[in-house]
Amino acid sequence: MGDNEKFSDEEIVEKVRSGDRELYASIVGRYQNKLLRYASNLLKDEHKVADVVQESFIKAFINLEGFNAKKKFSSWIYRIVHNEAVNLLAKHKNEVPMPEDIDFKSDEDIEEGLRKEEESAMVGKCLTQMPILYSEPLELFFLEEKSYEEISDILRLPVGTVGTRINRAKILMKKLCQTIKK
Amino acid sequence: MSNDQKISIQEKVMSQIRSGQAKMKPRWHFILSSLAVVGGLTGFTVTSVFLVSLATFSFRTHGPMGAVRYQQLLSSFPWWAPVLAVAGIGLGIWLLRKYDFSYKKNFVLIAVSFAFAVALSGWLINYLEIDNIWMKRGPMRELYKRYDAGMMRGPGWRMMQNGGYGNQNPRPGDGRDIIPRF
Repeated sequence: MGDNEKFSDEEIVEKVRSGDRELYASIVGRYQNKLLRYASNLLKDEHKVADVVQESFIKAFINLEGFNAKKKFSSWIYRIVHNEAVNLLAKHKNEVPMPEDIDFKSDEDIEEGLRKEEESAMVGKCLTQMPILYSEPLELFFLEEKSYEEISDILRLPVGTVGTRINRAKILMKKLCQTIKK
Repeated sequence: MSNDQKISIQEKVMSQIRSGQAKMKPRWHFILSSLAVVGGLTGFTVTSVFLVSLATFSFRTHGPMGAVRYQQLLSSFPWWAPVLAVAGIGLGIWLLRKYDFSYKKNFVLIAVSFAFAVALSGWLINYLEIDNIWMKRGPMRELYKRYDAGMMRGPGWRMMQNGGYGNQNPRPGDGRDIIPRF
Protein backbone atom coordinates (compact mmCIF):
# COMPACT_ATOMS: atom_id res chain seq x y z
CA MET A 1 0.00 0.00 0.00
CA GLY A 2 2.90 2.31 0.84
CA ASP A 3 4.23 2.31 -2.71
CA ASN A 4 0.94 3.71 -3.91
CA GLU A 5 1.29 6.91 -1.92
CA LYS A 6 3.30 8.50 -4.72
CA PHE A 7 0.51 7.92 -7.23
CA SER A 8 -2.32 10.36 -7.73
CA ASP A 9 -5.93 9.24 -7.37
CA GLU A 10 -6.39 9.35 -11.11
CA GLU A 11 -3.30 7.19 -11.71
CA ILE A 12 -4.55 4.59 -9.22
CA VAL A 13 -7.95 4.61 -10.89
CA GLU A 14 -6.25 3.90 -14.23
CA LYS A 15 -4.41 0.93 -12.64
CA VAL A 16 -7.64 -0.39 -11.12
CA ARG A 17 -9.36 -0.08 -14.49
CA SER A 18 -6.46 -1.95 -16.06
CA GLY A 19 -7.19 -4.93 -13.82
CA ASP A 20 -5.45 -4.34 -10.48
CA ARG A 21 -8.64 -4.36 -8.42
CA GLU A 22 -6.84 -4.66 -5.09
CA LEU A 23 -5.53 -1.14 -5.57
CA TYR A 24 -9.05 0.13 -5.03
CA ALA A 25 -8.44 -0.48 -1.32
CA SER A 26 -5.96 2.39 -1.32
CA ILE A 27 -8.59 4.68 -2.80
CA VAL A 28 -11.04 3.60 -0.09
CA GLY A 29 -8.31 4.16 2.52
CA ARG A 30 -7.58 7.65 1.25
CA TYR A 31 -11.14 8.82 1.21
CA GLN A 32 -13.17 6.95 3.79
CA ASN A 33 -12.43 9.27 6.72
CA LYS A 34 -13.05 12.39 4.68
CA LEU A 35 -16.25 11.00 3.23
CA LEU A 36 -17.50 9.79 6.60
CA ARG A 37 -16.98 13.27 8.01
CA TYR A 38 -18.65 14.86 4.99
CA ALA A 39 -21.62 12.48 5.06
CA SER A 40 -22.06 12.82 8.82
CA ASN A 41 -22.92 16.47 8.30
CA LEU A 42 -25.60 15.53 5.79
CA LEU A 43 -27.01 12.63 7.79
CA LYS A 44 -27.28 12.51 11.54
CA ASP A 45 -27.48 8.75 11.91
CA GLU A 46 -24.02 7.19 12.26
CA HIS A 47 -25.10 3.87 10.75
CA LYS A 48 -26.69 5.55 7.76
CA VAL A 49 -23.52 7.57 7.27
CA ALA A 50 -21.45 4.39 7.13
CA ASP A 51 -23.95 2.76 4.77
CA VAL A 52 -23.96 5.75 2.45
CA VAL A 53 -20.16 5.91 2.28
CA GLN A 54 -19.87 2.16 1.74
CA GLU A 55 -22.52 2.22 -0.98
CA SER A 56 -20.81 5.21 -2.62
CA PHE A 57 -17.48 3.37 -2.81
CA ILE A 58 -19.21 0.39 -4.39
CA LYS A 59 -21.09 2.57 -6.89
CA ALA A 60 -17.89 4.39 -7.73
CA PHE A 61 -16.18 1.06 -8.40
CA ILE A 62 -19.05 -0.22 -10.56
CA ASN A 63 -19.01 3.01 -12.61
CA LEU A 64 -15.25 3.46 -12.61
CA GLU A 65 -15.03 3.09 -16.40
CA GLY A 66 -17.34 6.07 -16.66
CA PHE A 67 -14.97 8.30 -14.70
CA ASN A 68 -13.12 10.84 -16.80
CA ALA A 69 -9.50 10.52 -15.64
CA LYS A 70 -8.79 14.06 -16.87
CA LYS A 71 -11.01 15.35 -14.05
CA LYS A 72 -10.50 15.15 -10.31
CA PHE A 73 -11.44 11.88 -8.71
CA SER A 74 -12.11 13.60 -5.39
CA SER A 75 -14.87 15.76 -6.89
CA TRP A 76 -16.37 12.67 -8.49
CA ILE A 77 -16.48 10.57 -5.33
CA TYR A 78 -17.78 13.49 -3.25
CA ARG A 79 -20.52 13.97 -5.81
CA ILE A 80 -21.52 10.32 -5.52
CA VAL A 81 -21.69 10.57 -1.72
CA HIS A 82 -23.73 13.75 -2.07
CA ASN A 83 -26.18 11.99 -4.40
CA GLU A 84 -26.48 8.98 -2.11
CA ALA A 85 -27.04 11.15 0.96
CA VAL A 86 -29.57 13.39 -0.76
CA ASN A 87 -31.48 10.35 -2.02
CA LEU A 88 -31.58 8.97 1.50
CA LEU A 89 -32.69 12.33 2.89
CA ALA A 90 -35.49 12.44 0.37
CA LYS A 91 -36.73 9.15 1.81
CA HIS A 92 -36.43 10.41 5.40
CA LYS A 93 -37.18 14.11 5.25
CA ASN A 94 -37.17 14.50 9.00
CA GLU A 95 -33.38 14.17 9.00
CA VAL A 96 -32.97 17.86 8.20
CA PRO A 97 -32.75 19.78 11.47
CA MET A 98 -33.80 23.15 10.04
CA PRO A 99 -35.81 24.29 7.01
CA GLU A 100 -33.71 24.90 3.92
CA ASP A 101 -35.43 28.07 2.75
CA ILE A 102 -34.06 30.35 5.46
CA ASP A 103 -32.06 33.13 3.86
CA PHE A 104 -29.57 35.48 5.48
CA LYS A 105 -28.39 38.62 3.74
CA SER A 106 -25.51 40.67 4.99
CA ASP A 107 -22.30 42.24 3.70
CA GLU A 108 -20.61 41.57 7.00
CA ASP A 109 -17.34 39.69 6.68
CA ILE A 110 -16.50 37.64 9.75
CA GLU A 111 -13.55 35.92 8.16
CA GLU A 112 -11.29 38.85 8.99
CA GLY A 113 -9.12 38.33 12.04
CA LEU A 114 -9.88 34.67 12.51
CA ARG A 115 -7.27 32.04 11.99
CA LYS A 116 -8.20 29.15 9.74
CA GLU A 117 -7.79 26.55 12.50
CA GLU A 118 -10.13 28.42 14.80
CA GLU A 119 -12.62 28.76 12.01
CA SER A 120 -12.47 25.04 11.27
CA ALA A 121 -13.13 24.16 14.90
CA MET A 122 -16.02 26.58 15.07
CA VAL A 123 -17.43 25.31 11.79
CA GLY A 124 -17.36 21.76 13.10
CA LYS A 125 -19.35 22.69 16.20
CA CYS A 126 -21.95 24.81 14.50
CA LEU A 127 -22.39 22.90 11.26
CA THR A 128 -24.78 20.42 12.78
CA GLN A 129 -27.18 23.28 13.59
CA MET A 130 -27.26 24.68 10.08
CA PRO A 131 -29.53 23.83 7.15
CA ILE A 132 -27.81 21.61 4.60
CA LEU A 133 -28.23 24.28 1.94
CA TYR A 134 -25.52 26.29 3.71
CA SER A 135 -23.68 23.75 5.81
CA GLU A 136 -22.67 21.57 2.86
CA PRO A 137 -20.71 24.18 0.86
CA LEU A 138 -19.26 25.57 4.07
CA GLU A 139 -18.05 22.17 5.21
CA LEU A 140 -16.55 21.43 1.81
CA PHE A 141 -14.73 24.76 1.88
CA PHE A 142 -13.42 24.78 5.45
CA LEU A 143 -13.21 21.17 6.57
CA GLU A 144 -12.56 19.42 3.27
CA GLU A 145 -10.55 22.38 1.95
CA LYS A 146 -12.13 22.27 -1.49
CA SER A 147 -11.86 25.20 -3.87
CA TYR A 148 -14.96 27.05 -5.09
CA GLU A 149 -14.51 25.34 -8.46
CA GLU A 150 -14.43 21.88 -6.86
CA ILE A 151 -17.47 22.66 -4.71
CA SER A 152 -19.19 23.86 -7.85
CA ASP A 153 -18.42 20.49 -9.48
CA ILE A 154 -19.57 18.48 -6.46
CA LEU A 155 -22.81 20.37 -5.84
CA ARG A 156 -23.48 21.24 -9.49
CA LEU A 157 -23.88 24.89 -8.69
CA PRO A 158 -22.43 27.93 -10.43
CA VAL A 159 -19.23 29.18 -8.76
CA GLY A 160 -20.96 32.48 -7.92
CA THR A 161 -23.75 30.66 -6.09
CA VAL A 162 -21.18 28.68 -4.14
CA GLY A 163 -19.54 31.94 -3.03
CA THR A 164 -22.88 33.46 -2.06
CA ARG A 165 -23.91 30.41 -0.05
CA ILE A 166 -20.59 30.25 1.75
CA ASN A 167 -20.79 33.93 2.66
CA ARG A 168 -24.33 33.55 3.95
CA ALA A 169 -23.34 30.39 5.78
CA LYS A 170 -20.62 32.34 7.61
CA ILE A 171 -23.18 34.87 8.80
CA LEU A 172 -25.51 32.12 9.89
CA MET A 173 -22.68 30.26 11.56
CA LYS A 174 -21.73 33.33 13.56
CA LYS A 175 -25.30 33.74 14.77
CA LEU A 176 -25.62 30.07 15.63
CA CYS A 177 -22.27 29.91 17.39
CA GLN A 178 -23.10 32.97 19.47
CA THR A 179 -26.36 31.35 20.47
CA ILE A 180 -24.57 28.14 21.40
CA LYS A 181 -22.03 30.05 23.53
CA LYS A 182 -24.80 31.81 25.45
CA MET B 1 -17.38 7.00 14.06
CA SER B 2 -15.33 4.22 15.58
CA ASN B 3 -12.14 2.86 14.02
CA ASP B 4 -13.77 -0.57 13.77
CA GLN B 5 -16.52 0.87 11.61
CA LYS B 6 -14.00 2.60 9.37
CA ILE B 7 -12.03 -0.62 8.93
CA SER B 8 -15.19 -2.57 8.25
CA ILE B 9 -16.16 -0.21 5.43
CA GLN B 10 -12.91 -0.91 3.62
CA GLU B 11 -13.23 -4.64 4.24
CA LYS B 12 -16.86 -4.77 3.14
CA VAL B 13 -16.17 -2.83 -0.03
CA MET B 14 -13.16 -4.96 -0.94
CA SER B 15 -14.91 -8.22 -0.09
CA GLN B 16 -17.78 -7.31 -2.44
CA ILE B 17 -15.25 -6.54 -5.16
CA ARG B 18 -13.26 -9.74 -4.55
CA SER B 19 -16.37 -11.92 -4.47
CA GLY B 20 -17.61 -10.42 -7.72
CA GLN B 21 -20.77 -8.97 -6.16
CA ALA B 22 -19.58 -5.55 -7.27
CA LYS B 23 -18.51 -5.71 -10.89
CA MET B 24 -17.16 -2.86 -12.92
CA LYS B 25 -19.45 -1.97 -15.80
CA PRO B 26 -17.58 -2.33 -19.09
CA ARG B 27 -16.43 0.74 -20.97
CA TRP B 28 -18.77 0.02 -23.89
CA HIS B 29 -21.73 0.42 -21.52
CA PHE B 30 -20.83 4.08 -20.99
CA ILE B 31 -19.95 4.64 -24.64
CA LEU B 32 -23.28 3.12 -25.70
CA SER B 33 -25.20 5.19 -23.14
CA SER B 34 -23.53 8.38 -24.34
CA LEU B 35 -24.22 7.48 -27.96
CA ALA B 36 -27.86 6.73 -27.13
CA VAL B 37 -28.28 10.10 -25.45
CA VAL B 38 -26.50 12.00 -28.23
CA GLY B 39 -28.40 10.04 -30.90
CA GLY B 40 -31.73 10.62 -29.17
CA LEU B 41 -31.13 14.33 -28.78
CA THR B 42 -29.93 14.62 -32.37
CA GLY B 43 -33.05 12.84 -33.61
CA PHE B 44 -35.33 15.10 -31.65
CA THR B 45 -33.36 18.14 -32.77
CA VAL B 46 -33.80 17.17 -36.41
CA THR B 47 -37.51 16.51 -35.83
CA SER B 48 -37.97 19.82 -34.05
CA VAL B 49 -36.06 21.78 -36.70
CA PHE B 50 -38.19 20.15 -39.35
CA LEU B 51 -41.40 21.05 -37.52
CA VAL B 52 -40.37 24.67 -37.02
CA SER B 53 -39.41 24.81 -40.69
CA LEU B 54 -42.75 23.29 -41.70
CA ALA B 55 -44.68 25.75 -39.55
CA THR B 56 -42.83 28.82 -40.90
CA PHE B 57 -43.17 27.46 -44.42
CA SER B 58 -46.90 27.10 -43.95
CA PHE B 59 -47.21 30.64 -42.55
CA ARG B 60 -45.22 32.00 -45.48
CA THR B 61 -47.23 30.23 -48.14
CA HIS B 62 -50.46 31.42 -46.59
CA GLY B 63 -49.28 34.95 -47.37
CA PRO B 64 -50.70 38.22 -46.03
CA MET B 65 -54.08 36.57 -45.45
CA GLY B 66 -52.38 34.02 -43.26
CA ALA B 67 -54.46 34.98 -40.26
CA VAL B 68 -57.57 33.75 -42.03
CA ARG B 69 -56.09 30.31 -42.37
CA TYR B 70 -54.38 30.34 -39.04
CA GLN B 71 -57.13 28.34 -37.41
CA GLN B 72 -56.96 25.86 -40.25
CA LEU B 73 -53.25 25.46 -39.70
CA LEU B 74 -53.69 25.03 -35.96
CA SER B 75 -56.37 22.43 -36.42
CA SER B 76 -54.28 20.37 -38.84
CA PHE B 77 -50.90 20.87 -37.13
CA PRO B 78 -49.42 17.61 -35.84
CA TRP B 79 -49.34 18.62 -32.16
CA TRP B 80 -48.12 15.21 -31.11
CA ALA B 81 -44.76 16.02 -32.69
CA PRO B 82 -43.77 19.04 -30.54
CA VAL B 83 -45.12 17.20 -27.48
CA LEU B 84 -42.90 14.28 -28.43
CA ALA B 85 -39.96 16.64 -28.93
CA VAL B 86 -40.42 18.20 -25.48
CA ALA B 87 -40.78 14.75 -23.93
CA GLY B 88 -37.63 13.76 -25.79
CA ILE B 89 -35.66 16.65 -24.31
CA GLY B 90 -36.87 15.64 -20.86
CA LEU B 91 -35.93 12.03 -21.51
CA GLY B 92 -32.52 13.06 -22.81
CA ILE B 93 -31.80 15.14 -19.71
CA TRP B 94 -33.01 12.32 -17.48
CA LEU B 95 -30.71 9.88 -19.27
CA LEU B 96 -27.80 12.30 -18.99
CA ARG B 97 -28.42 12.58 -15.26
CA LYS B 98 -28.81 8.85 -14.83
CA TYR B 99 -25.86 7.62 -16.84
CA ASP B 100 -23.52 10.54 -16.43
CA PHE B 101 -24.43 11.28 -12.85
CA SER B 102 -21.13 12.53 -11.60
CA TYR B 103 -20.29 15.55 -13.70
CA LYS B 104 -21.73 19.01 -13.53
CA LYS B 105 -23.97 20.02 -16.40
CA ASN B 106 -26.02 23.15 -16.81
CA PHE B 107 -29.30 21.59 -17.90
CA VAL B 108 -31.11 24.93 -18.13
CA LEU B 109 -28.45 26.17 -20.54
CA ILE B 110 -28.67 22.93 -22.55
CA ALA B 111 -32.47 23.23 -22.84
CA VAL B 112 -32.38 26.96 -23.74
CA SER B 113 -29.57 26.43 -26.27
CA PHE B 114 -31.49 23.54 -27.77
CA ALA B 115 -34.68 25.58 -28.16
CA PHE B 116 -32.72 28.51 -29.63
CA ALA B 117 -30.83 26.26 -32.06
CA VAL B 118 -34.07 24.64 -33.21
CA ALA B 119 -35.84 27.98 -33.75
CA LEU B 120 -32.83 29.46 -35.58
CA SER B 121 -32.37 26.41 -37.80
CA GLY B 122 -36.07 26.33 -38.66
CA TRP B 123 -36.05 30.02 -39.51
CA LEU B 124 -32.87 29.67 -41.61
CA ILE B 125 -34.38 26.81 -43.61
CA ASN B 126 -37.37 29.00 -44.30
CA TYR B 127 -35.26 32.12 -45.02
CA LEU B 128 -32.98 30.27 -47.44
CA GLU B 129 -36.07 28.63 -48.99
CA ILE B 130 -34.62 25.17 -48.58
CA ASP B 131 -38.16 24.07 -47.77
CA ASN B 132 -39.17 24.92 -51.36
CA ILE B 133 -36.65 22.34 -52.54
CA TRP B 134 -38.03 19.81 -50.08
CA MET B 135 -41.51 20.49 -51.36
CA LYS B 136 -40.42 19.66 -54.90
CA ARG B 137 -38.44 16.53 -54.18
CA GLY B 138 -37.44 14.20 -51.42
CA PRO B 139 -39.33 12.12 -48.89
CA MET B 140 -40.98 15.14 -47.24
CA ARG B 141 -42.59 16.31 -50.47
CA GLU B 142 -46.11 15.11 -49.66
CA LEU B 143 -46.04 16.49 -46.14
CA TYR B 144 -44.93 19.93 -47.30
CA LYS B 145 -47.64 19.96 -49.95
CA ARG B 146 -50.23 19.42 -47.22
CA TYR B 147 -49.14 22.64 -45.54
CA ASP B 148 -48.68 24.62 -48.73
CA ALA B 149 -51.47 27.12 -49.49
CA GLY B 150 -50.06 27.81 -52.96
CA MET B 151 -49.12 31.46 -52.36
CA MET B 152 -45.61 30.80 -53.61
CA ARG B 153 -46.96 29.82 -57.02
CA GLY B 154 -49.33 32.70 -57.64
CA PRO B 155 -53.11 32.87 -58.13
CA GLY B 156 -53.02 30.86 -61.36
CA TRP B 157 -51.91 27.76 -59.55
CA ARG B 158 -54.83 27.95 -57.17
CA MET B 159 -57.29 28.60 -60.00
CA MET B 160 -56.04 25.48 -61.65
CA GLN B 161 -56.50 23.59 -58.41
CA ASN B 162 -60.10 24.77 -58.39
CA GLY B 163 -60.66 23.65 -61.97
CA GLY B 164 -60.01 27.01 -63.66
CA TYR B 165 -59.25 27.66 -67.37
CA GLY B 166 -62.11 25.41 -68.39
CA ASN B 167 -60.13 22.19 -68.48
CA GLN B 168 -59.77 20.13 -65.39
CA ASN B 169 -57.92 17.27 -67.07
CA PRO B 170 -55.17 18.61 -69.31
CA ARG B 171 -53.29 15.93 -71.14
CA PRO B 172 -49.55 15.76 -71.16
CA GLY B 173 -48.09 17.27 -74.29
CA ASP B 174 -51.11 19.31 -75.33
CA GLY B 175 -49.42 22.51 -74.18
CA ARG B 176 -51.91 23.15 -71.43
CA ASP B 177 -50.51 21.01 -68.71
CA ILE B 178 -49.20 24.02 -66.89
CA ILE B 179 -49.61 22.56 -63.46
CA PRO B 180 -46.05 22.35 -62.32
CA ARG B 181 -44.84 18.81 -62.05
CA PHE B 182 -42.67 18.39 -58.99
